[in-house]
Amino acid sequence: MKVNIKINDRNYSIEIEPGEMLLETLRKLGYKGVKHACSTASCGACTVQIDGKPVLSCSTFTAAVDGHEVKTVEGFSNEGVLSEIQKAILEEGASQCGFCIPGLVVTAEALLKENPDPNQEEIIEYLKGNLCRCTGYESQTRAIMKAAKARRER
Amino acid sequence: MSRVLTKEKLNVVNTPVEKVDGKALVRGKPVFTDDFDLPNALTVKILRSPHAHAIIKSIDTSAAMIEGVACILTYKDVPHVIYTRAGQGYPEPSPYDTFILDKKVRYVGDAVAIIAAENENIAERAMKLIKVDYEILPAVLDYEHAQDPEAPVIHNEPEISGAYDPKHNIASHYEMEIGNVEEELKKCDYTVDEVYYTPNQSHAMMETHAAISYFDPNGRLTVITSTQVPFHARRILNRLFGVNCRVIKPRIGGGFGGKQALHVEPYVVAVTLKTGRPAKCVYTREETMTASNTRHAMRFRVRAGAMKDGTLKAIELWGLSNTGAYGEHALTVFMVAGSKTLPLYNKVKAVKFGGDVVYSNTEPAGAFRGYGAPQGMFALDSALDELARKIGMDPITFKLKNSIREGETSPIFKIMGEGREGVEQIIRSCKIEECAIEGAKIFNWYEKIKKPRIDMKNKIAHGYGVAFAMQGSSIPAIDMGGATLKMNDDGTFNLLVGATDLGTGSDTILAQIAAEVLHTTVDKITVYSSDTDITPFDKGAYASSTTYVSGNAVKSAAEKMKKEILKAASELFEKPVELLDLEEDKVVCEDGRSISFSELQTKLFYTFNQRQLEVTESFVSEVAPPPYLVSFAEVEIDMETGKVKVVDFLNYIDCGVTINPVLARGQVEGASAQGIGMALFEDHIMDRNGRLITDDFFTYKIPARGDIGKIEVRFAKSYEPTGPFGAKSVSEIGLDTPGPAIANAIYDALGIRMRRLPIRSEELFFEIRKKYG
Amino acid sequence: MLNIKEYVNPDTVQSAYEIGQMPNSLYVSGGLMVSQIKSERLERLIDLKSLDLDYIREEEEYFKIGANTKLSSLISHPSFSSLGENFVKKSIKEIGSVQIRNMATVGGSIAFRLGWSDVITIFMTIGSQVEIYNGKFQKMDLEDFISQKIKGAIITEITVPKIESKCVFEKFAKSNFDIATLNLGLRVSLDGNFIKEARIVAGSRPMISQRIREVEEFVTGKEIDKISDEASKLIQKVIQTGTDLRASAEYRKALSGSLLSKALRRVTQ
Repeated sequence: MKVNIKINDRNYSIEIEPGEMLLETLRKLGYKGVKHACSTASCGACTVQIDGKPVLSCSTFTAAVDGHEVKTVEGFSNEGVLSEIQKAILEEGASQCGFCIPGLVVTAEALLKENPDPNQEEIIEYLKGNLCRCTGYESQTRAIMKAAKARRER
Repeated sequence: MSRVLTKEKLNVVNTPVEKVDGKALVRGKPVFTDDFDLPNALTVKILRSPHAHAIIKSIDTSAAMIEGVACILTYKDVPHVIYTRAGQGYPEPSPYDTFILDKKVRYVGDAVAIIAAENENIAERAMKLIKVDYEILPAVLDYEHAQDPEAPVIHNEPEISGAYDPKHNIASHYEMEIGNVEEELKKCDYTVDEVYYTPNQSHAMMETHAAISYFDPNGRLTVITSTQVPFHARRILNRLFGVNCRVIKPRIGGGFGGKQALHVEPYVVAVTLKTGRPAKCVYTREETMTASNTRHAMRFRVRAGAMKDGTLKAIELWGLSNTGAYGEHALTVFMVAGSKTLPLYNKVKAVKFGGDVVYSNTEPAGAFRGYGAPQGMFALDSALDELARKIGMDPITFKLKNSIREGETSPIFKIMGEGREGVEQIIRSCKIEECAIEGAKIFNWYEKIKKPRIDMKNKIAHGYGVAFAMQGSSIPAIDMGGATLKMNDDGTFNLLVGATDLGTGSDTILAQIAAEVLHTTVDKITVYSSDTDITPFDKGAYASSTTYVSGNAVKSAAEKMKKEILKAASELFEKPVELLDLEEDKVVCEDGRSISFSELQTKLFYTFNQRQLEVTESFVSEVAPPPYLVSFAEVEIDMETGKVKVVDFLNYIDCGVTINPVLARGQVEGASAQGIGMALFEDHIMDRNGRLITDDFFTYKIPARGDIGKIEVRFAKSYEPTGPFGAKSVSEIGLDTPGPAIANAIYDALGIRMRRLPIRSEELFFEIRKKYG
Repeated sequence: MLNIKEYVNPDTVQSAYEIGQMPNSLYVSGGLMVSQIKSERLERLIDLKSLDLDYIREEEEYFKIGANTKLSSLISHPSFSSLGENFVKKSIKEIGSVQIRNMATVGGSIAFRLGWSDVITIFMTIGSQVEIYNGKFQKMDLEDFISQKIKGAIITEITVPKIESKCVFEKFAKSNFDIATLNLGLRVSLDGNFIKEARIVAGSRPMISQRIREVEEFVTGKEIDKISDEASKLIQKVIQTGTDLRASAEYRKALSGSLLSKALRRVTQ
């Protein structure tokens, strides 16, 4: 079946299988930043934004996204300049293996849009659905606090 | 005795340089194995055994050869070469007990057939059409019963080698004794004699196992794989298939030891060799969880004795380790449970360590960060805590009194190595006193322990626990790494290392070391790593060896490059080398002249004494200087539910000089979280038929955000003279302390001793109910 | 990927229902749970998102919530989220994660009748009615919908009374991002210190949410700060629990007592 989806501000009209999940579709189209890490909607590595809201692409039917807008980590990345979130992640060592990071960036973008001045608890709660096995979460909380401040001061 | 702790002023080392691969990661660039799409590639899936122990009486793939299936391989179609999957130096100290595919299956999830198809859908449909007739055998599901007289023999293949006594399911055995423990214990004022258990933890790295194999345009078999051991993988694949392949490691989404073995690689290579086509296999989360490796579950009986003044006299650690269906890392992990724990308490008169490593029909165990030390230290440190309390002594004082110091040694270093004898070493750096004393101050230990533990009104208890640990920095006399440095005409350098960055940041810290020596900056060093055709050999990322071994190799190479640069400049300036030095991307001469690296190599390319400045150096460690760690845990226990929360966890660590303090801190924080996971959260449950029902992140819970309070890391002021710029290692040791620190804290809070990890809230709850009503 | 033959997007409840009568069809509201299904026989998915069932309407005595309303919308609705003295806001926030709450719908959560559903416990605690369409529109108590195991119907709307009483939600889980090992909802209306009316719902037992009427009756008329111990003992005695990979039946019983004690304490804070 055919669907029309806007991905990172680019219009796509594509043939998909009726039971296809958004994660597969995005990766097939070349958006490799969207990661497949579990099969049970339990880890957040596949997080993308649909109409500005962070959701799990592994559990979203592509057919259901027809007519909607999707944003992946690639959509939050400029070739030249790192966002405050990306910069802070690097400064705080919050990306070790990096596999959870695209999902984290997408979710953190949504957080800061909703709440530009989150405290530690709010950051932890909002990012709860993004598991990380490498960092123990400390550096990531520090990074988002830093990024929030940098963005507010921009 | 005062010491100059850093010998030189550092510009790049010990600074928080951002990871060299960082930008690609935060931008979501396609840098992981599954991000590469090769045209005409086949998708590979594995048919797995539903039985814990069975013989394949017949396997019929004819009905499964549907449209879109390129090939289906069974044990009849792949080389029948016995090997070990373990990624270790050759000859491997692990039993050769594994085939790529075998006629016998030994655990639920064991590989039965390899299916290659145009896409995943077709492969899965085909998989269901394969007819397998199994003769089901009785299974050993509980490793404590693997040696029962009626237990079925799991490895009866005639080709097996290197196993201790497979007829009794013993993969490995080890024992050693110094002095006479029995005699010493008799003389002690206080003794403990308890048994402790640690579980089969899963690595749960975010990227599952993945590999692609293909013939490059020139017909060279190439494997891109998410591995910690590219060179071992190449060697083993070459031997298995009689090929000469190239193995490339791209970015990896975590390993923690779970990728220190061959997993997917033989399957894709078998398909590529059969079909000529590229083949990709990416494990599902369930496969990585149930059909790769876990930590070795272990049981240790600890006997220890001390005098009333707190002098520890004797320790015995006697264990049983479950290596599961296959024996990769069986002997070596078990030995580390003793070799990287017992030397910490080097003042004892007698010490004994030993036990059996047994096969069982469960998921094979393998390497997992800490590699035996977390298991051994949970038992040892808990027992010493129990002993300290019997004596009535503060556990910090007790452990510190008996632990090793600079200038000392332990006979265990010589006796116990990597599956064989080890190497003598004198401890040149050990700041355990600072770790314990300063750590206690920062944690406010002596104030905290004055507080009441139980708030009966609100049914909340607080407790404080401490644990001491050591680890190693590489395996001495065995681990080798090489580094090549090449100078470019724009003044930059290429650093080629075999060393394997699994997200740990080794590419970055190795670049820092090179930059420091060469008086340049990390952005002028381009690192290429872990490509067996292009980079020099490195044993791979394990045993906390990369900073120490690969780092020393890089340092040597950089020093040699420095000499080459000065020599070239001295030729150019016609001045002796002694009058020249390096400074910020240039060579300076005492007479005021200077030349930039860029200018120099440009001349050397085109117009002057033309040559390429390029050097290669290798390093083998003679010693493995241990890092040291003292961790302090504060737990809060909800007595109404038995739930334990770690509210405060302080690590005070001596890892020598930190090449990169931000990355080093990240390693310790991450290790603490995994250790807390092992202690409180991660619970594998198997059904009666040997199937792991905790097979995904929905059922196997790793700590999530908010599960742990604060994790803090402090670094001791330390300098290891044999390490590059004074560095030792940092990545594994953090796993050794959370288990015992938490168990000790729970005892401190409630007077209830939990000797089995994970500490389930259910079990603690009923203990609390028994004791407090 | 699910191996289905078609994914349809009807725009009326009636047409959705008709298509749903075809064999091997399943309704999708949100799709979070449907995507986890491993069934080979499933042929058709019917997405309910175009049925205009995404709304929260405030009336004088009730809230009417469209079945396709996302859990996140419930939290961000200022008056609905504060129902039960912020009960809705606090309890829904315990479910899953931001991503999951942006995907899961009220109707979808109820329709799947999952034992571990926090949504069902929460809505049963407040006291809700569901409107379904199975050829005709019908309304019934949520409790009846669950116990009658009505299948094949489309949930269209949930009606929630604007209760005055305070509610609390307690959830015990193995980690901070996990389903409940046991969940419990408590609703009380007080006359001074005395309990006029109580509603106690326990779920993820691991069986589905259930009102514990014996304890509700026991606490009625008693002083809230004096009955905790006895109520706790009673619920442990009467609650039906089971064993699964998360906990034993015995532990769940003990937890029911603990969660009830905690809930009673929180209600009076």
